[in-house]
Amino acid sequence: MDEEPERAKRWEGGYERTWEVLKEDESGSLKATVEDILFQAKRKRVFESHGQVRLGMMRHLYVVIDSSRTMEDQDLKPNRLTSTLKLMEFFVEEYFDQNPISQVMFLLFEINTFFYICFDAGNPKKHVAALKKAVGSTCLGEPSLYNALNIAMQTLKHMPGHTSREILIIFSSLTTCDPANIYELIKTLKELKIRVSVIGLSAEVRVCTILTRETGGSYNVILDESHFKELLMLHVKPPPASSSSECSLIRMGFPQHIIASVSDQDAKPSFSMSLYTLYCMRTRRGLRLFALCLTLVSAPHLARSFHHLFPLDAFQESPLEEHTGDRFCQACQGELKDKSVFTCPACSSVFCTECDLFIHDTLHCCPACIHTQGAS
Amino acid sequence: MLELKRTLDAKGHGVLEMPSGTGKTISLLSLIVAYQKAYPLEVTKLIYCSRTVPEIEKVVEELRKLMEFYTKETGEKNNFLALALSSRKNLCIHPEVSSLRFGKEVDGKCHSLTASYIRAQHHSNPSQPVCRFYEEFDAVGRQVPIPSGIYNLDDLKDFGRKKGWCPYYLARYSILHANIVVYSYHYLLDPKIADLVSKELAKKSVVVFDEAHNIDNVCIDSMSVNITRRTLDRCQTNVDTLQNTIQRIKETDAAKLREEYRRLVEGLKEANVARETDIYLSNPVLPDEVLQEAIPGSIRTAEHFVGFLKRFLEYLKARLRIHHVVQESSPQFLKDIYEKVCIDRKPLRFCAERLRSLLRTLEIADIADFSPITLISHFATLVSTYSKGFTIIIEPFEDKTPTIANPVLHFSCMDPSIAIKPVFERFQSVVITSGTLSPLDIYPRILDFRPVTMASFTMTLARTCLCPLIVGRGNDQVAMSSKFETREDFAVIRNYGNLLLEMSAIVPDGIVAFFTSYVYMENIVASWYEQGILENIQRNKLIFIETPDAAETSMALEKYQEACENGRGAILLSVARGKVSEGIDFVHHFGRAVIMFGVPYVYTQSRILKARLEYLRDQFQIRENDFLTFDAMRHAAQCVGRAIRGKTDYGLMIFADKRYARADKRGKLPRWIQEHISDGSLNLTIDETVQLSKHFLRQMAQPFRRVRPAPFFTRFS
Repeated sequence: MDEEPERAKRWEGGYERTWEVLKEDESGSLKATVEDILFQAKRKRVFESHGQVRLGMMRHLYVVIDSSRTMEDQDLKPNRLTSTLKLMEFFVEEYFDQNPISQVMFLLFEINTFFYICFDAGNPKKHVAALKKAVGSTCLGEPSLYNALNIAMQTLKHMPGHTSREILIIFSSLTTCDPANIYELIKTLKELKIRVSVIGLSAEVRVCTILTRETGGSYNVILDESHFKELLMLHVKPPPASSSSECSLIRMGFPQHIIASVSDQDAKPSFSMSLYTLYCMRTRRGLRLFALCLTLVSAPHLARSFHHLFPLDAFQESPLEEHTGDRFCQACQGELKDKSVFTCPACSSVFCTECDLFIHDTLHCCPACIHTQGAS
Repeated sequence: MLELKRTLDAKGHGVLEMPSGTGKTISLLSLIVAYQKAYPLEVTKLIYCSRTVPEIEKVVEELRKLMEFYTKETGEKNNFLALALSSRKNLCIHPEVSSLRFGKEVDGKCHSLTASYIRAQHHSNPSQPVCRFYEEFDAVGRQVPIPSGIYNLDDLKDFGRKKGWCPYYLARYSILHANIVVYSYHYLLDPKIADLVSKELAKKSVVVFDEAHNIDNVCIDSMSVNITRRTLDRCQTNVDTLQNTIQRIKETDAAKLREEYRRLVEGLKEANVARETDIYLSNPVLPDEVLQEAIPGSIRTAEHFVGFLKRFLEYLKARLRIHHVVQESSPQFLKDIYEKVCIDRKPLRFCAERLRSLLRTLEIADIADFSPITLISHFATLVSTYSKGFTIIIEPFEDKTPTIANPVLHFSCMDPSIAIKPVFERFQSVVITSGTLSPLDIYPRILDFRPVTMASFTMTLARTCLCPLIVGRGNDQVAMSSKFETREDFAVIRNYGNLLLEMSAIVPDGIVAFFTSYVYMENIVASWYEQGILENIQRNKLIFIETPDAAETSMALEKYQEACENGRGAILLSVARGKVSEGIDFVHHFGRAVIMFGVPYVYTQSRILKARLEYLRDQFQIRENDFLTFDAMRHAAQCVGRAIRGKTDYGLMIFADKRYARADKRGKLPRWIQEHISDGSLNLTIDETVQLSKHFLRQMAQPFRRVRPAPFFTRFS
């Protein structure tokens, strides 16, 4: 960030009324507001329990990033593009963490040039590297929503019907220069069951509202950087599958990695065993990675996807003053200092804010519950 | 609601300001309907006057919803009859007549098919065409009342088609016993139409004038007369026709003229009796003195009357043959006319009535052809009746084209209370309402009535969905203002351009920009073009311009909406007081921001306006400046109010003139806008405006009804 060009200087940016956010409490002190703001920042997680619904867990997500000249705007620091790409790196990691059996593609677009940041669908490391490389790219011209959607649609069209096909547009501009009627395209997208979501960087645009409403996606506009991140995180969770999508049982392979030195008699002698050779349980022979006939998953991947189906219930939040039991968090054993404490509805153990976040975001199960189950 | 109830209880008049889009119509309707149900003897009728046909239709739809709700809740069928009334053009179902394009043609054609003598001729001579719908209605329709229910214009037409009755006459007949009548306010205010349509409406009615912020101008227009040379020429033809017809009739049917003469001698006794017994709404064109006397002998016979008209016309022609501007009062005019052509005041006063009688007697079918002469006769009656409140201005040429002679005689009414007085006197309660009536006390003063309630309501908002900003300076600190001295200033124009450019980059979809006049808009746009500002704006949004031509404007408007719909975004440059500023709503994405360039003062050099201001000062003690500011601010409020049409809607309101920040201007904005102008948003630069707008738009783009904390926490974490 430091090697950003001079124009990113703070005093050259926009005029901001930072003081308007702060409000004095009765005693005239600012401390309460600041603490409140900090606390809110910690609890940015959004509770959105789907209940028991079918989720589209095999996702093909196409992230389309606007690169028209409005991306040069400096209301996100240092500018919109850099900030977006940075958040995207974070998003990719989170995405593959939560959806290991899914794929993602990135595309930068403006009116008629398209630039694939990364086409390699399932490898987070390559994505991150490519995103880093794209930071310096210049933003010029007008965007065309129609062209971008069209390109994404051409690719997604061929994805199997049981997967969840999604497009996520990061739309910075407020205008779109389309070569044809976009409403026709929206109809096609709807028929293909491609879900289009939009995150707007400036304001609500009518055509996006319609686009997302028709295709069943979500439309959000960011307030600032942290809100942007929050909105991106909403897209990490797999969306509920539409009831009309095909459902089928999918063959999956759980391959064993064959070490090259072990010679396998069943393997075809025509190609030599390399490090990338896997042993297929079904056909009982070693295969090269690119010649696989199955969707490849590993057991931990599946397990990690599994938690989406049975999400951990939200803990009950109550003010610290009302809490009567131990003044210690069940998980970290630290003293409860925050304003609120969180109680697990199943085992009524008490947790602090930090641990509550960790449990819901990472663990996906209540440690106290596991403990009691294990004991019994 | 409370105020309205109080008004109804007191049987008085009220002035209510309610922001548009907050359910103004429905709350008025529901309370008055409930009142009607509770006290059927106190309030027998609701007369709801609105401005345009679409607005009338909207009111009827609201009413339909209300009635459905009543039926659902109470479970019983109510026997309310509510209907909309509009001109023949909108209601005619006669295949030939309804295909005509102009209202006047339709009226004339209709008249030629339905006039009583035409129908009498039809009896003797079946080849004479008549309107079968009217015949059918006349034969059956009057006996059988229209079944109760809610009828909008289309419903009336359908009903008419089914029964074979003329919907227009059916509606006109039915308003007498309908519980609710919805029509345009010309039907009450314009004396010529009111006399035909509304005079038999019951006294115990409640009259509502919706969108009434311009009611004084409507009143004035309905009483004013403009006479050009062309009108006079056509009058001449009219008079010739009259003369020929009289000649012909005299040869064939002299008895008829004698009959008329006898009737005129008896005078207008009948009308007088009717007025005294209070059956009719009084007509300001037909003053009381006229009723008490018989028509003077000098114009009693048809020939004499025509001769009289000729003299009068010659006099007017002579008056128009001038090279300098003349302004005089009615008594001066009367004195002059007496001296020059020996026309007395008294026969002039009977002119309108006499002409009507003559036209009736002569059985002239096509009334539309005689509109010029009718106009002149109205002028004659008005000028001789009212010595105060009117002025006569004769201009030899228009201000814009001082070289082309185009003499006009403006007989302009300066006192709106003359036209509206009968309405206030006759009806039990009159409610004047609009989104922009501030400051409230000025309306009772200029309309000369005593309201029992005056109230201005604000909106209760789930979120602050309007953001009024007053931009006073450019980024270079040059004050922005459209005042006369600086309007040609290069820096001001450039700053206005920059403002629009910046806004076009941050406001999604549609922006509507209002200028103070067409001339000013043309100048500015031309200058922007030279400076390359337009080109830059066009990278963000398409630009559409309102012109005085109605067809062009509606085309521009259509394309503008298409561009907003498709996400390209568009800017509509239009003019305050133009068509766009008055009647067209920019809901949701069609108007995310309204920019008001300058303060829309009226053209103050106009002589009519000057005369009016003088009159206001003398009669009502309203200072010129107060009235001008009031007028400018109500138009500004009307313009910016176009963007907010309901609670889910949101929009920026940008007042780009430093004069708006002054207390006298700001205080005249409606309360619901004033409330949201904080001291911090008074004299902003363009930069600050952009920053505030960006923040506002992002806030508003968040899903509705989600309370979120102050969003600035990043800076602290």
